[in-house]
Amino acid sequence: MRGGGIFGALVCAAFAAGAGPCRAAGEIALGEYLSATCVTCHQKSGQITGGIPAIVGWHADQFIAVMNAYKNKERDNEVMRALASGLSADDIAALAAYFESLKPLKP
Amino acid sequence: MLINRRTLLRNGSAVAGVFVLGAPAVLGQARQRVVVIGGGPGGATAAKYIAKDSEGKLDVVLVEPKKLFTTCFHSNLFLGDYKTFEEITHGYEKIAAQGVRMNHQMAASIDRDKKEVVLADGSRLPYDRLVLSPGIDLKYDSVPGWSQQDEQSMPHAWQAGEQTRILKARLDAVPDGGTIVMIAPPNPYRCPPGPYERVSMMAHVLKAKGRTKAKIVIIDPKESFSKQGLFQEGWEKYYPGMVEWLGPKVHDGLKSVDPKTNTVETGFETYKNAALVNVIPAQMAGKIARDAQLTNQSGFCPIQPESMKSAVDPNIYILGDACIAGEMPKSGFSANSQAKVAAMMIRGELLGARTFPARYANTCWSLIETGDVVKVGGAYEAKEGAIKASSTFISKTGEDADLRKQNAQENIGWYGGIIADMFG
Repeated sequence: MRGGGIFGALVCAAFAAGAGPCRAAGEIALGEYLSATCVTCHQKSGQITGGIPAIVGWHADQFIAVMNAYKNKERDNEVMRALASGLSADDIAALAAYFESLKPLKP
Repeated sequence: MLINRRTLLRNGSAVAGVFVLGAPAVLGQARQRVVVIGGGPGGATAAKYIAKDSEGKLDVVLVEPKKLFTTCFHSNLFLGDYKTFEEITHGYEKIAAQGVRMNHQMAASIDRDKKEVVLADGSRLPYDRLVLSPGIDLKYDSVPGWSQQDEQSMPHAWQAGEQTRILKARLDAVPDGGTIVMIAPPNPYRCPPGPYERVSMMAHVLKAKGRTKAKIVIIDPKESFSKQGLFQEGWEKYYPGMVEWLGPKVHDGLKSVDPKTNTVETGFETYKNAALVNVIPAQMAGKIARDAQLTNQSGFCPIQPESMKSAVDPNIYILGDACIAGEMPKSGFSANSQAKVAAMMIRGELLGARTFPARYANTCWSLIETGDVVKVGGAYEAKEGAIKASSTFISKTGEDADLRKQNAQENIGWYGGIIADMFG
């Protein structure tokens, strides 16, 4: 959400040189906004309490695969299915890019 | 640089250029001011996110009389001996460290014409945008025979803090064979499954102490209640014969309560010498919102679903239990979710930050017995002039025990998460 001008496409162009065709990199600003819903349960610091896993620092491909599995109802958990159902492919890519950009804080 | 009239005129075009490029409000004057009233899940979250994401470009003040905030959510777990009072009580130090100026007094009123908040000591806080998250007030005249003076003898504990401790002490003192009467509230009210989770926790404590001849009677003005099938299944399974829920067709109306004799009279039966009467009365938006004429005939505040902005004052955003959030229930999770939308929109208005369409979420977990938690929730968006659910879910009766255990772990994880999000 900060500043707002960082587009995933630019990040992709800068970092994907020589890495083959650029995959759909998400837009960080959108991802940061959408992440506000995630961090009510999944702590932004990467710390874990109870049964809610940490999601910061995940590889974007892994994040996208897991969210799509919730969206397609292939993974259990009603909370995640409901939240994923309203997200477009761009939304999920944006979230993936944002969470990939975060580093877990050391406890 | 000393600027006089001549240099100002000479540099006029350059200055104009800066004003076009930069956010106009930030240059050449003091930072714009955001005042937040109420340090609960709505206000604390809004204050933190506005300060954090504006990186010092806005002056954010959080007005909250309490230095320590006890959460209503998970206060039932305190009643059930799953959590200590300290574990549900939190300070504002880390919010202050994000750049929020704390003002620990009561906000007395809002001067909407002057855009100022009047504090209890008479001082005034001017604002460019106001975030109002005052929570609920109780309708002390909604239960015949009961008034504010009786909240010691017949506690409500629907605003957490000292009332929660009173209810806990009274619950622990209920003897075997004693009767607890809960007067449940009419819609709409804070935390729809809350009264019934509370009943579960009361039964849990009585059962753990071996007082299984004690009984809990719920006098409910509603024909049905949140997660009804799930709670009733759980009560039958874990607390057989201990919980009796009576809807209006059965109890035939609450006639009166008598705090001196702990009597509850309904059209159906009179309960005398109850060991504990828990009165949860009807509710409305906090007084400051009503006095500022931000409420409608429902007693709550209409808002614009795209932004959480008041429907009657474009300089005020209203969050949480005090607002009319369409299909979103009144919950701490909802307030936290709404606060993030409002924070984004306020930065958009005052700093020209990018905004995205509002998305909201909520989940309410309820503990029935150790390791058995049920949940209800959904994702929400602005649609046709209201906040409407785009996707919802609810636990099912007869579910697998492992799934309920997983929910129980989620419930603990969610609390840690929202506390880190609000107060961390």
